[in-house]
Amino acid sequence: MRGSSRTDHRRGRLLWIGLAAPGAIWLLVLFVLPFYAMLSVAGGGINAFFQTSVPIWNPLHWSTANLSMVWSNIVGSGAFIGPAMLRTLIYTGIAALLSLAIAYPVAYFVSRYAGRRKALYLVLLIAPFWVSYMMRMLAWIDLLQQGGFFNKALSSVGLPGNTDWLGGKSVTVILGLVYGYIPYLILVLYAGLDRIDGSLLDAARDLGLSRWRTFWRVTVPLSKPTIIAGTFITVLPMIGDYYTNQLMSAAPGTTMIGNVIEGQLEAAGQTGQGAVLSLMLLIVLLIPMIYYVISTARASREYA
Amino acid sequence: MASVIGEPVSAPAAGAVIERRRRPLGNPWRRPWGLEGFTVLYIAWSILPIAVAVLFSFNKGASQATWQGFSTKWYVGGWIQSVANNPELHQAVIQTLRLAGLTTVICVPIGVAFAIGIDRWRGRTSGGLNIVMIFSFVIPELLLAVALFMLVTQLLTFIALGTTAEVAGLVVWNLSWPAIIVRARLVTIGKTYEEAAADLGASQLGAIRRVLMPMLMPAIFASTVLVFASTIDDFVIVEQVSSTAATQPMSVLIYSNVHGGLQGPALNALATIMLFFSLVVAVIGYVAYRWMTRGERKAGATEALTSIAGM
Amino acid sequence: MPGGHVQLQSLTKRFDEVTAVDDISLEIEGGEFFSLLGPSGCGKTTTLRMVAGFEPPTSGSIVLDGVNVARLAPNRRNVNTVFQSYALFPFLTVAENVAFGLKYRSVSKAEITTRVGEALELVQLAGYEKRRPNQLSGGQQQRVALARALVLRPAVLLLDEPLGALDAKLRRTLQVELNALQKQVGITFLYVTHDQEEALTMSDRLAVMNRGKIAQLGTPEQVYSEPTDAYVADFLGVSNLMDATVETSGGAGPCRVRLGEFVLGAEAGDLRATGKVKLAIRPERIHLHPHESTGANQMPGMVERLVFLGSTTQIFVRLANGAALQALERNDGKGLPYSQGTPVRIELPADALRVLPDPGVGVSEIHEETLGDLPLDLATSAAPHS
Repeated sequence: MRGSSRTDHRRGRLLWIGLAAPGAIWLLVLFVLPFYAMLSVAGGGINAFFQTSVPIWNPLHWSTANLSMVWSNIVGSGAFIGPAMLRTLIYTGIAALLSLAIAYPVAYFVSRYAGRRKALYLVLLIAPFWVSYMMRMLAWIDLLQQGGFFNKALSSVGLPGNTDWLGGKSVTVILGLVYGYIPYLILVLYAGLDRIDGSLLDAARDLGLSRWRTFWRVTVPLSKPTIIAGTFITVLPMIGDYYTNQLMSAAPGTTMIGNVIEGQLEAAGQTGQGAVLSLMLLIVLLIPMIYYVISTARASREYA
Repeated sequence: MASVIGEPVSAPAAGAVIERRRRPLGNPWRRPWGLEGFTVLYIAWSILPIAVAVLFSFNKGASQATWQGFSTKWYVGGWIQSVANNPELHQAVIQTLRLAGLTTVICVPIGVAFAIGIDRWRGRTSGGLNIVMIFSFVIPELLLAVALFMLVTQLLTFIALGTTAEVAGLVVWNLSWPAIIVRARLVTIGKTYEEAAADLGASQLGAIRRVLMPMLMPAIFASTVLVFASTIDDFVIVEQVSSTAATQPMSVLIYSNVHGGLQGPALNALATIMLFFSLVVAVIGYVAYRWMTRGERKAGATEALTSIAGM
Repeated sequence: MPGGHVQLQSLTKRFDEVTAVDDISLEIEGGEFFSLLGPSGCGKTTTLRMVAGFEPPTSGSIVLDGVNVARLAPNRRNVNTVFQSYALFPFLTVAENVAFGLKYRSVSKAEITTRVGEALELVQLAGYEKRRPNQLSGGQQQRVALARALVLRPAVLLLDEPLGALDAKLRRTLQVELNALQKQVGITFLYVTHDQEEALTMSDRLAVMNRGKIAQLGTPEQVYSEPTDAYVADFLGVSNLMDATVETSGGAGPCRVRLGEFVLGAEAGDLRATGKVKLAIRPERIHLHPHESTGANQMPGMVERLVFLGSTTQIFVRLANGAALQALERNDGKGLPYSQGTPVRIELPADALRVLPDPGVGVSEIHEETLGDLPLDLATSAAPHS
């Protein structure tokens, strides 16, 4: 025995466990357990009479009926899920690239060159956080309406001013995604760029690199982890987005995977398929999520 | 001898230094106008639409696009469509505040305790719980909302759809805010202060109460502010597990009425109210944070701002 | 029994596979200023933390005034700590900081105020009650930390490298003050440091630690002048360690050792040793003579470098057999009769030449061990590697 029966130190441990318990229980019951419920619904059947789904709780008895239905809707003829998946990837990919292209220069500027006005710029960058998502989308809906400012501005310079921007255009949806998620990206990039030690950049200049070269050969590599983290924080939620499309377009031609899931949940008898689709989305996202989680957990442990 | 452009050089006669000509734009200390302009443009693009939307909530007419004069009729006044009078709108405001209040009051204490417990409790279980918590931070809200819906309707049916389920879901969704922010702060604080307190006679609980809590106050406050603002805005989970119209907060109401339904500017009015609440909370949070950290060296405007935003 | 008597008995601390403290035993008298000296990683801080109660020992006991406190929580021992980072609570004023521990002693409010005032006066910070820690300089913060611990009148005060964060001049001032303070209050001080000059200046006795064990324990004079092994000799000041073999072992007659082609007499240290040994001699004991002089214990060599230190001059010489030594001469205004490149005869007086057991490693390895990762200090740096 190592003689570890220290009552004082043992009691201390119980305290920490006790503190963590409520949160732990809440997480387990309301975060982990729901996914078990989702699995059971996905692997369950349908009550033909009520057209409701009947979950099967025993993992050994899970059926693949819903799974095959979903699969045929992805790859079979008349499939509507497949295109939605593809579209989701394209939209989020373009939106992510655009966001990065906009966010990086802004974050770079504010973190390194803003000088005395840094606080002011930060306030302006953080402001969208405090403006609800609804409000921000609403703002664009107002502007992009028929007869709204945007169309009026276009016609005032001679361009056609009667496009129905909100009637099912991919451009609008992508714009909505970028506008909605870019504040997160900017702040994450800002935090990371701010943390870069200025003396490293000075050293590069001192050793003969021009400003441009310093940027590419020192700043960008140093900020790579931040870029990756920021991209994750932006892209992962974006993939599950359905409301942006709903607000900005609401047309079947621009549906994303999130809309499909939503639709299936609301349709009678298709809840099981909705569950399957959600699980498929979860599995696809699991790998980047795990990567993010592990690198975050490792990073926080390094500091401890 | 070539001279530096723009600067007369009074060169001594013998052994003088030859200055190389500098390119006009080659000043290495010049201010990056391009970047700054780009940033300003971004900020304008980011904020102006919101200003316009707020503006239209004061529109006299029913249009969200054409300005027809100033009026507060969407907010107050005898008109049925105003927020003050329309029961549906009215109810939504109250529900938003109720959800935000309940969630914050439950989520922050649990989250703070969780952060402290996980930080001190070394072990695989705590590491696992931490990972679960980070997952809840990074997962798309839709997936969690769907899963919660199924949980509540199929498994734990004693949790009724409506406010109860909404609060339960919101607490779980927002747990990561206090957990991560307080945890980060804990790591910075370190164990030394509690050791000092124990050395001077405090029990473990006493050290937490008298030393750790005061030092965590800024982080706790920042997470309270964040949770509150996040729930005011939340919509995915709430929509999924809501039941009747009475349990719909402002965010859901706006969403369901955007393509028809309520008059346009009414929605703007609702959104502006949401904005107002969030801003009030943000300002209180910022001021309080600055006040609370007035004894510490590092705290400044930028520190406060980034903390409030969750960095 | 006077209070503050500390006994460590076979104290051991293991962290997984690493043994930080390896079966150490020592005894500290009440009222003594005792230092634990060693480079980073030698186990001195871990030992201190065990005495304070922040680490439970793996085995062994810590006896304080007759009571084994090894298993008690830190708040139940009559021991207080001054932390390296001071750990002043930033949200409390100076007075509130100092009064912190008194709240657990059922002391009346009036008495708290009195005792806080007394403690602050003791550390010469009277009048600073309402200040906040972030308004104080490093030295002032350290004094508040002292006051906060002393106000509780502990039996033992533990100090964990308290002067580490201060600049050299302030450090020297505070060393003297701390010493005077300790004599004034009469409490046992257990002081941990890696700065040998500090330990030598302040302690009544000290223990030099290496790799979790005590290398030597004694008064500063003993440890400096009579080091018992090469490590201790090299850790405290410059030791001019040399490899040698014993020609004639002491005992029946004088001890004679062979350094390359030269045989010298040695009269200090382990005179009965045989075989391979290490020799040590303090720089101030080496004498340089003109190259044509003769005499006992003299060898030819050359001056390599002179370094002016203010009151003294360091002279780096190289012996004929390649060994490099450091001598020290006082600057008495008359100048030195040699410069870089001058051939000289180097005398290592027998009564200053110390024979030490050979630990089985080379001189340069011993240098590395004692250096650890400490900043180089000119006046006490080891001789250039031979």
